[in-house]
Amino acid sequence: MTTYSTVNSRAPRLDAPDKATGSAVYIDDIRLPGMLFGAMLHSPLAHAKILNIDTRGAKRLSGVKSVVTYEDTGLIKYGVSPARYDELLFCDGKVRYVGDEVAAVAAVDLETAVEALSLINVEYEELPAVLTMEEALAEGAPLVHDEYQRNIGAEVHHEFGDVESALAQCDLVRTDTFRSKRQDAAFIEPQGCIADYDGRGYLTLRSSTQTPHYVQRTIAMVLGLPIGKVRVVKPYVGGGFGPKAAANAMEMAACLMSMKTGKPVKMGFTREEVFLHSRARHQFVHTLTTGVKKDGTIVALKNECYLEGGAYTSFGIATIYYAGSLLGGPYRLQNMKYDGYRVYTNKPACGAQRGHGGVIARAAWEQQLDRIAEEIGMDPVELRLKNMMEAGDVSCNELKMNSLGMRECIEAVRDGSGWKEKKGRLPKGKGIGMACGFFVSGAGFPIYRSDTYHATVSIHVSEDGGTVHVYTASAEIGQGSDTAFAMIAAETIGIPLDSVMISSGDTEFGIDLGAYSSRQTLMTGHATKEAAVDVRNQILAVMARELKVDISELDIKDGLIVFKHGGVDFSRLRARYIREHRGWQGIARGNDPLTFQEAARIAYLARGTIIGRGKYKPAELGGSHKGAAVGTSPAYGCSAQVVEVSVDMETGRITVEKMTDAHDCGFAINRTSVEGQMQGSLSMGLGEALYEEVKFDEKGRILNPNLGEYKIPTSLDMPNVNPIIVESHEPYGPFGAKEVGEGAIMPTIPAILNAVYDATGIRFQELPLTPERVFMALRAKKQKP
Amino acid sequence: MLLPKFEFHEPETLKEAAAILSGIGEPTSILAGGTDLLVNMKKGKASPRHLVSLGRVRELKKTARDGESLRIGACVTVAELREEREIKDDFDGLFRGAGLLGSPLIRNLATVGGNIVTARPAADLPPPLIAYGATIELVKDNGERILSLEDFIKGPGETSIEPGEILSGIILREPPLYSGGGYVKLGMRKALEISLVNVATFFALDGPSGPIQKARVVLGSVGPTPIRSLRAEEILTGERPDEALFEKAGEAAANDAKPIDDFRASAEYRSEMVKLLTRKALKQAYEEAKLREWRRWK
Repeated sequence: MTTYSTVNSRAPRLDAPDKATGSAVYIDDIRLPGMLFGAMLHSPLAHAKILNIDTRGAKRLSGVKSVVTYEDTGLIKYGVSPARYDELLFCDGKVRYVGDEVAAVAAVDLETAVEALSLINVEYEELPAVLTMEEALAEGAPLVHDEYQRNIGAEVHHEFGDVESALAQCDLVRTDTFRSKRQDAAFIEPQGCIADYDGRGYLTLRSSTQTPHYVQRTIAMVLGLPIGKVRVVKPYVGGGFGPKAAANAMEMAACLMSMKTGKPVKMGFTREEVFLHSRARHQFVHTLTTGVKKDGTIVALKNECYLEGGAYTSFGIATIYYAGSLLGGPYRLQNMKYDGYRVYTNKPACGAQRGHGGVIARAAWEQQLDRIAEEIGMDPVELRLKNMMEAGDVSCNELKMNSLGMRECIEAVRDGSGWKEKKGRLPKGKGIGMACGFFVSGAGFPIYRSDTYHATVSIHVSEDGGTVHVYTASAEIGQGSDTAFAMIAAETIGIPLDSVMISSGDTEFGIDLGAYSSRQTLMTGHATKEAAVDVRNQILAVMARELKVDISELDIKDGLIVFKHGGVDFSRLRARYIREHRGWQGIARGNDPLTFQEAARIAYLARGTIIGRGKYKPAELGGSHKGAAVGTSPAYGCSAQVVEVSVDMETGRITVEKMTDAHDCGFAINRTSVEGQMQGSLSMGLGEALYEEVKFDEKGRILNPNLGEYKIPTSLDMPNVNPIIVESHEPYGPFGAKEVGEGAIMPTIPAILNAVYDATGIRFQELPLTPERVFMALRAKKQKP
Repeated sequence: MLLPKFEFHEPETLKEAAAILSGIGEPTSILAGGTDLLVNMKKGKASPRHLVSLGRVRELKKTARDGESLRIGACVTVAELREEREIKDDFDGLFRGAGLLGSPLIRNLATVGGNIVTARPAADLPPPLIAYGATIELVKDNGERILSLEDFIKGPGETSIEPGEILSGIILREPPLYSGGGYVKLGMRKALEISLVNVATFFALDGPSGPIQKARVVLGSVGPTPIRSLRAEEILTGERPDEALFEKAGEAAANDAKPIDDFRASAEYRSEMVKLLTRKALKQAYEEAKLREWRRWK
């Protein structure tokens, strides 16, 4: 077994000192000289024609430096996927939801900017709005976008195998419909940015974003700048979970107003604006039909899905594909049919959120599988063990499992939770449930069609030797990616972690598609490893030449040069190094082993600055059908979870008592961070299962746009979690690593649903399981004869 | 989220505070913990021209015994209230209410007086305070008055406080022998909750095992103000406390509740929960009565 010095440990996070002492710099902490403050004017109506915008009053207000509307921007449409660019920076003809962007102001201070907004006079002609999917799909309903009939903005139809004839041969066929609610990602830091357009025509945007690269491209496209003149820098970011994975109108408005004024412009969302901008989880309605043999073999799955999308597409094209393509796994089934429809409504646009597209499909199906297990008299654990895929399997929609620790995950939670002793033996009001999950480890393709590398990394070795500096454009947003990449670099080069410095989140540092689709550890990790190997090889090549030994005789370990068979005289190199450091203390002397520091200095003297370069893009991935690009990934993570709940049979209130979670992350670069992602995923899943719903009034206004009324779990609501790391050693991952950031959320909701059934005998087909919903169901059950 | 502009006053005595208040002719708010007021000001729901902070008025931050009464200064924080021995020993319903208000961070700032004058229908302290028969002191530049808390709260955000008046203290009489109180709150999660329903109870028994001589049942979050359920109280009075009686009282309480449908819960659910929570809170009161009696003999 390989032993590691750094990876697979519980190294403290590199950002821990900054964050623990409050010195970490976020957007809100940054002030630039001469900076202006911007604010955005949002539509107060869900659907209306704009008849006139009068900005004269705002422009006259003292202290106002810029007022912009669609007249200042041109009409370049943007979005996330080029297949559906349907947004304008500012609305021209009409507004499509309460919150749609109409104008922006920059002024000497925020008070003035906000006052100026109140002086912009917009004349609207209100139009009938569609606020639910049912309204939007109705015959003759008003159209959110004229070009999309029945408000269907995107649809997907896939069939693998022959579902109808497969279902005809099944012993049991079940159909169930499941309905979730619109979510907010509820990250702790609202989006904010500072745009700074300099005298030479270069634009720097500092932004709280997950994807500097996509923001850079979108801004360049919309504002008509060369990509090379747009730099996007991400300071510390307080969480993203999806909604920060694309450029937003505020960023573009700040850039535009900085270009117009020549001054830096700072803007930030209020919490209410976070809800208005949304781009979080859609509402999903899934109707699933599953057919099995009486021995539990899953034969066919039919999946029909409607997504309530809001007024724009955002990530929605990817969402609707994911809601179908990821469902079959982690099980082996030969027949799968999917029909998905994304519906426009006059509400804030939905997009991506942790477990993108797959979370509700998973919840619906894993609950249905539980029902099926009961009906055929099989333990739910056994049903899953019987059907799961293994390494080497290819799903019917051509997803290839190069590694898959599904069995290990299921067995770990079964044994770690006491499943066998508890299942079916808990008193009324207490329940235990299990479910599995499955997710990509990085999108196989960029969001725009391209042959680009997904990540490039460079590692600069300091010229005096000893320390290295990793440069990556990837996005540390709180998940611990900087620490992971520093650990990969340290391990690969053979030096201690404290000799590695990392700078990230800046488009000047290379290409990186950013923090979404659980891609960075695998993809940026690969590029980091390749760059580190390059550094190591360059330095060892110089050593081999200088010492006249074969390079294969040399190694670097724990910051020291290792001669595999000893007997190498390096005194000449040492003398040279010491000569360059006359008067210095604490450097290696005499017979001390040769250090990486000395070797790196000698290499610099021989070759100039040592820079290692790494890059990554996935190899050719399977799938030739339309839409195969969404769901294919170089690797797949999987997970299993057992949840125990108590249900207060009088109030309907559910308490989650215990969660046992196993996740196959391939290989844990940092064990503590992997467990942190598991804990965070479980918390988000628990909130979605029990509490969370963005609610609207009859005019399309959000009723709970704050974290007092939109209820995410508090620390008191989180039970003790037993996180179990499973390592299946993914052949295509750096050191065998693959995802954990999103896949871990997959089993949580269905495991809770299955546990609640065990406690109450009731199957819930609608989220969230609020006390009221549970109470009403309990009462109805009691009243039934 | 910016605060609107305002004049800030920071008196050091109650007298000084009352004088400042009487001298200002413009819309004024009194700042105590600020957990409600500052949020509303940032949202633009309140825009007073003047803020009179009571933060430095030390006499408002004390809890003191006065014969048979306990006087709680209006600016005692909710966290401090929970630290008072008398509250722990003799006012369990209030102690529970204080423990369920907001979160530890909010309880460290929010004051008892603030939770009363804001008059939120779902507030956690008024129901138990009313159940214990609390009276309040209102002070102004040229005098003071005392009135029952029950009569003070008029509607959502509305009280009978007059311009220039400051709520200075809350007075609780020591509960009689053989009495106890309870408070049950229902929300979705375990902290940072606005009650879907809350119920506070208090009753005094004739002797160690009854009958009930006097009872108060107060329902929160099911009407514009905390509601005394006179029907429940009537059912309880004169009867021996037991499960069956509590259940009957719960049914009666639901008839006095005036819940509405809103985005947090339906009226129907709230009404059902009034029944249940009343029963539970009465059970708590009975347990406390027994516990206090036991403690007396120990």
